[in-house]
Parts: sequence; structure tokens; C-alpha cells
Amino acid sequence: MAEDLNWAIGGEAGDGIDSTGKIFAQALSRAGRHVFTSKDFASRIRGGYTAYKIRTSTENVQSVVDRLDLLVALTQRTIDENLDELHEDSVIIYDGERSWDAEIPEEMNAVDVPLKSLAEDAGGAIMANTVALGAACEIASFPIENLDESLEKRFGAKGEKIVENNKEAARLGRDHVQENYGEFDYELETTDNDYVLLNGDEAIGMGAIAAGCRFYSGYPITPATDVMEYLTGRIEQYGGTVVQAEDELSAINMALGAARAGARAMTATSGPGIDLMTETFGLVATSETPLVIADVMRSGPSTGMPTKQEQGDLNMALYGGHGEIPRFVVAPTNVAECFHKTVEAFNLAEKYQTPVFLVADLAMAVTEQTFAPVEFDMDDVEIDRGKVVDDESVDEWLDGQGRFRAHADTEDGISPRALPGTVDGAHMSTGLEHDELGRRTEDTDMRVRQVDKRERKVETAREREDWSPREFGAEDSDNLVISWGSNEGAMQEAIDFLEDDGIDVRFLSVPYIFPRPDLSEEIRSAENVIVVEENKQGQFADLLEHDALERVQRVNKYNGVRFKADELADDIKAALAGDAEVKA
Amino acid sequence: MSSDVRFTDFKSDKQPTWCPGCGDFGTMNGMMKALANTGNSPDDTFVVAGIGCSGKIGTYMHSYALHGVHGRALPVGAGVKLANPDLEVMVAGGDGDGYSIGAGHFVHAVRRNVDMTYVVMDNRIYGLTKGQASPTSREDFETSTTPEGSKQSPVNPLALALASGASFIAQSFSSDAMRHTEIVQKAIEHDGFGFVNVFSPCVTFNDVDTYDYFRDSLVDLSEEEDYDPTDREQAKETILDADKEYMGVLYQDEDSVPYSERHGLDSDMSEIPDGAPEDAMDLVREFY
Repeated sequence: MAEDLNWAIGGEAGDGIDSTGKIFAQALSRAGRHVFTSKDFASRIRGGYTAYKIRTSTENVQSVVDRLDLLVALTQRTIDENLDELHEDSVIIYDGERSWDAEIPEEMNAVDVPLKSLAEDAGGAIMANTVALGAACEIASFPIENLDESLEKRFGAKGEKIVENNKEAARLGRDHVQENYGEFDYELETTDNDYVLLNGDEAIGMGAIAAGCRFYSGYPITPATDVMEYLTGRIEQYGGTVVQAEDELSAINMALGAARAGARAMTATSGPGIDLMTETFGLVATSETPLVIADVMRSGPSTGMPTKQEQGDLNMALYGGHGEIPRFVVAPTNVAECFHKTVEAFNLAEKYQTPVFLVADLAMAVTEQTFAPVEFDMDDVEIDRGKVVDDESVDEWLDGQGRFRAHADTEDGISPRALPGTVDGAHMSTGLEHDELGRRTEDTDMRVRQVDKRERKVETAREREDWSPREFGAEDSDNLVISWGSNEGAMQEAIDFLEDDGIDVRFLSVPYIFPRPDLSEEIRSAENVIVVEENKQGQFADLLEHDALERVQRVNKYNGVRFKADELADDIKAALAGDAEVKA
Repeated sequence: MSSDVRFTDFKSDKQPTWCPGCGDFGTMNGMMKALANTGNSPDDTFVVAGIGCSGKIGTYMHSYALHGVHGRALPVGAGVKLANPDLEVMVAGGDGDGYSIGAGHFVHAVRRNVDMTYVVMDNRIYGLTKGQASPTSREDFETSTTPEGSKQSPVNPLALALASGASFIAQSFSSDAMRHTEIVQKAIEHDGFGFVNVFSPCVTFNDVDTYDYFRDSLVDLSEEEDYDPTDREQAKETILDADKEYMGVLYQDEDSVPYSERHGLDSDMSEIPDGAPEDAMDLVREFY
């Protein structure tokens, strides 16, 4: 198990919690340490409680755990909210000069640092959080020089003076701890490893650019906005654009239009936005338009808990929209996979001229995690645009009267695609049932042929593509755990916890929801099958039961907080002990 | 674009199912003529249509086309045009499509000012669903869903466009073939969002806003010597004039700069490399 340190800074929204946390995460990453972050935040601009948490180790970390070692508390609520995770060796940095009376459990180490006064000494009270970072470096025996580069990155644009003041503020924090407190038990070693630090939304955006996506239209919504913000300012450098639409109805239709024009196009949203977009799902499918629709899930239904985790949209992605809509549903399982699955989504969309749902979740979308840069090797990015015809090959697809058969009924179900501008390729597409030319029909035979043809594309993809799950743990174990989405990291670490208790498990992490791997054999041959997901109804478990015609055990969590590795290990143990349904 | 394109090249071999005498025939003919007159060809033209009688237009014309969902034709058109500025984009719909279910998009399409043309076949009735009130129906117009009239003021599409920051506002009449073609042509030539509200009478369900009514009442602005469409104040007064209905270009901002130009978009986004862009590793390095 990883030798880790769990650090957090918490306060009110508007206290700069997020950016301070990110500065520290970057410093750790640059010092060659693995980092896994999580955020407690509320949907408000000011007030409330918000925290940025970091788990760091020299070994790979892929989950949060139920333990907090070093906490920078800017409010009493920060301490109260985290009492469960704090322990007797925990160190809490607070500012005794601030107006609130800090109530810190006696057994813990309270470190009083006059954050505001020291910040003023360095040039301004605004740098109080930087003072706290300096203090944290000292407590964790982390050389403060590692912080400098992150401070330069964060404040460089504001001028050399601001950067220098911040460096000074950090040093005042460090000195204060040095002078007033003894040594602590923590030591953050540095390594020579190079890591990049990014979150799932950024990975989706980067994957989109790598895959040749040049058109993004969206409407701001938590937690998908980061995709849009990432692309803004970057996609333009590759000849693309981001359009902020008036609503999600418009966003998906604009992306659809761009895709009809031949661009690789996408939109991203979350629950309430995907509800609106549903209107257009059927049109995307019947007009056979390649489109990537990302749903970064958050807690629902309705407005739900907008800044909290949930995997509740699986059925929406699979079944949303009236009528029967052929589609692909791909669900990345970690931050790096957000990149790879985005690239894959664009290829699937164009090869099969079908909507692709990229279903991510809040936990990985806003989680910053370290990776070796090689995980994002751009040379490995392959682009397959499918059956696009040009001015010459278009001729093979003209009917007797020279009309382009955009919806030709082919053996593999895939029709030729003429991008506008292709000579003799002019054709119509529509949400109405249509003939091979794309013109409305209610002919019973043609209706059946076109429905079959569209479904056949999915069957073709089922045969041609690799839909394998990702496999971890003990291959020959009788205990089979299956999960999807961002639970992969927590489950991977839970395997280690379980091993310590002498329990082995085989873990299948499934990134393809539709088409999906046939796991009936695995499910039937295992003695215990546990499906882990973050929703109440067990939407994925239902699918697997349907596939395998076998009952599975379920571990569900839906309180808005992602699984923690140690907690998940306990849940698995409980399930193995015979608790058929474990509700975390 | 070839210069020998005739307007009939924009005609498909599908016979329209519009009622005999429907205004949409004339509206469509004018659109095809205007497209041909401005040097476009079917292979470089993209027509987007909404839902309703008007929405069928994509089937009867020959070009690249998408017949979308109700009310969302404008966003589709914007997507097409921004992704490939070389295409001539024409969006067509009805008063229900544009001013009811799609009213929100209309406002934003107008202010976005993407260089495309929007032709609304305004018959002041829902025809395809067999005669219910539309957003432009008169307040006292009796229909199956409003037996005593809608008792709501009709939308003034021209005023809505003006208030949304339109750079081109015009109105035409499907039966005045020459003027209608001329007006649509001006909308196509306009640098930005060319909006044309076309009176396109429904002979089956609207016995108030008829050919005779428009013929008798429409004031053609091209015959008003002192009318200057670049004068926004004059346009405002004319558009808000409740006593008369006008035909012609009501307003044109000659300094209009379309969306793509403002955002520096000039490339065909369908052209992408075979793999990740050459310098894509820079994107990864940013995260160090």
C-alpha cells in the first residue's frame, strides 16, 4: 500500500481554496510525487464550506482515503466537517489571530500560524493562503523550493513582484513553524520523475483536440464547464472554435450542424443539460450524423446536488429519447482514460455515423491526478474518418439518376458519407424515416430496411471493435467485482486493503456500456459477484443481471461523495459476508 | 461555384405535397432563383429546414440539406456555416418553428450574426396540424384551439429582430415573385444574418391573411422614395407602425461584421490531419 500523506485546505467559497490547493498539488507533482485530488465544494460563489484535498505518495495513488493528516483550516467548519477523517497525529494549521475561536480536539496537533499578519509582512493579506502553504511545507518536511515554480506558474502573469512576495510569504510561514514548533512525523520525499497533473474535463478537452475535434458548442453547467473552458483559447490554435450557445437545445443542434458540414464536433453537459439534448438524440441517429455528446454526471434528479458525485445517468445515456435510437455509450474509468476514450469516441462516431455518448462523472472530471506524460502519447492517436467519399469515389454511390445514396442500405450498415462541397454529393438528411436518398418515406419495406441498417452498424461495431473490460486483481479469484466509471481507482486500491485481510478479488472495470463486453461467463463462474456503482437503483447491475440471467450483489453509494478506497474495501467485505445489498 | 447554374438545378424531382395555391411554392421558387443568381451551386449550398409545412422545403430543393427537429433549424445552420464558411447556408422555417418553439434561438441567432440567410414562411397559422393559432395569428383569429381568438398580441418578428440587434431585416410576399427573389437575394448578399419574413399564405386554414389581403395592404418600401433602410430610427418607426404592413428591406447595417470574421474563423473545419496535430505534445507539457 502506498505510503501516503493526506493534505487539505478548507474554508469558505471565495477564500481561494481551489487555487491554493492546486498550487500545492502542482508543487508535489513537480517534485516527482504522485497526486490525487478531490474537492468538497458547494454550488455558490461565496460562503459555505469548500475544501481541496490532496493525497500524495511516491507511489501511484488513484483514490481518496478516509484519513486526513495535515489540514489548513480557514474556518471552524473546515475542522468540523472533517472530524471523521482526522486522527491523533493529524496536524491542523489555523490562524489564532482570526476572529473565530478554534476548537481543535486536544489529541491533535494544533499549529497556530498568524497567516494574515505574516502575509501583510510579505506585502499583503491576500497571500495568507501562501503563508499556510509555507507552514505546510515545513510540517511535512517538503523543501519549500518546490513551491516556487508553482507560485511562478500561478502568479507569473501578475508580475515578478507578486511572485517574489508570495515566495516570501511562504518562507515566513515556514520560519514561523520552525521557530515555534518541533519536528513532525511527516516527510514528503521528492523523486526525479516527471508527472503531468490534470483533471478529467481537461483530459476530455485535450483528447478532443488530439482527435481533430474543431467545433465545440456548449452551455455552461457544473461539472462539464471545464471542458469548454479548457478548449477556449486552445482549440482556436488548431483552426477550431468554441461557441457558447443560448441553451443545450441549441448547443447540440449547432454541434450537429458542424458535424453535417464535416467537422469533428462535440458538446458536453451534465444531467439537466442532457435532458434538453435528448430531443435531438434521435435526429443525430436517424440522420446518421457522427457526434460526440459528453455527459459529465452529477447528482440528480432535477437540480439534485450540482457539485456532488453520482453515476445516475447510465439509463439516460442508454435509453434517452423516444423511439429506438442506435448509439454507443462509452464511459472512461479514470482521468487518463478520459483522454483516450474521447479520441476513441470520435473514431466510433465517424466510422459508424452514430451518436457516441461519453459518460464521465464529477469525481474524475474535477479531480486532478498525476500521470507520466507518456500516458498521453500523441503519436498513438489514430484518426479514422470512416467511409468519406471524395469527388471521384462519390460516383460509386450515385443511383441511376445521378443522385447520391447517403443512406445506402449496405451489408455492414455503414453508408458512404459525402461532406458538403463534394461535387455530386448533394443530399438531404432528416429525422423523418427516409429512403436511401434521405427523402421522407412511409414505405413499409424501406422503413424496415433503414431501421435494420442503422442497427446493423452497431452489430458491425460489436464485431470489429475491442470492447474488453479492464482487468485487475487476482484473475482466478472466486470473488468478482465489476464496476464502471471513476470507481476504478478506489477499487484498485481497495484490492490492496482486501489483500491485507487475506481476501482476493478479481476486478473488472468496464469502460464500454453499449456495446459492452459479454461478462455472463465470468459472472456465472464466480462464487460471489459484486457490482459497485454510485447510484441508488444499481443501473449497471441491472444490465449485467439482464445479460447473464444471474443475480448479483450490489454495493451502491449515493450520498454525493465518491467511494474512498478503505471504505470500499469494507463494503466489499460486508457484501462477501453475505449482506446482499450494501448501501454506503 | 459555377456560373452556369440555373435555378432549376436547385429543384429536386420530388413533387411538393403542399396544398395547391400554397404560398410556399412561391417562397421556394424565389429562394432557388436567389441562390442561382448569387452564383451558388447545389453542391456548395446547405439548406436547413424546421418542422411544419415549411420544413418540407429541404425535400423539394436539391442541395446538401438537413431537416431537423422542431424549432432548432437556426442552431444547425450556425453550426454548418461556422464549420465551413465556404458553404452558402440557408435556413427555412415557419412562424411556429421560428417564433414559437424556436423563438429563443431566433433572438440569439440574430445577435450572433452568423453569415447565413433565414427565410420564414409566415402564414400566421399552423397548417400541417390543420389550423391552430400561431404566434403571428391575429388576436381575434378564431381557430380550433382558439375558438374566440387567441386573446394575445401577435409577435412582431421584425421588431423582435430589431430588438435583438439584427443587421438585416426584410419582409416579402411569396406571390410577388420578382420582389421576393430580389429581397432574398439581398439577404444572401448581406454580410451577416439575413432575415426575411415572407408572407406565404395558407389557402386552406387562414381566410384572413389571404393573397388578396396582402396584395391590397402591403406597402412596398422600394416605392417609398425617402425610405432609407440604413437609417435605424426610420426602420424602428416603420417596424413598429401598427397600421400598415411593409414589404422590402426594412433595415440593413452596412457595417455588419459577421460572427466568423469577428472570431477569425475562415477555415474549413472538416479538414484535419491523419493523427494528432504535430505540436500536440505541447498540450501535455502545459500540465507539468
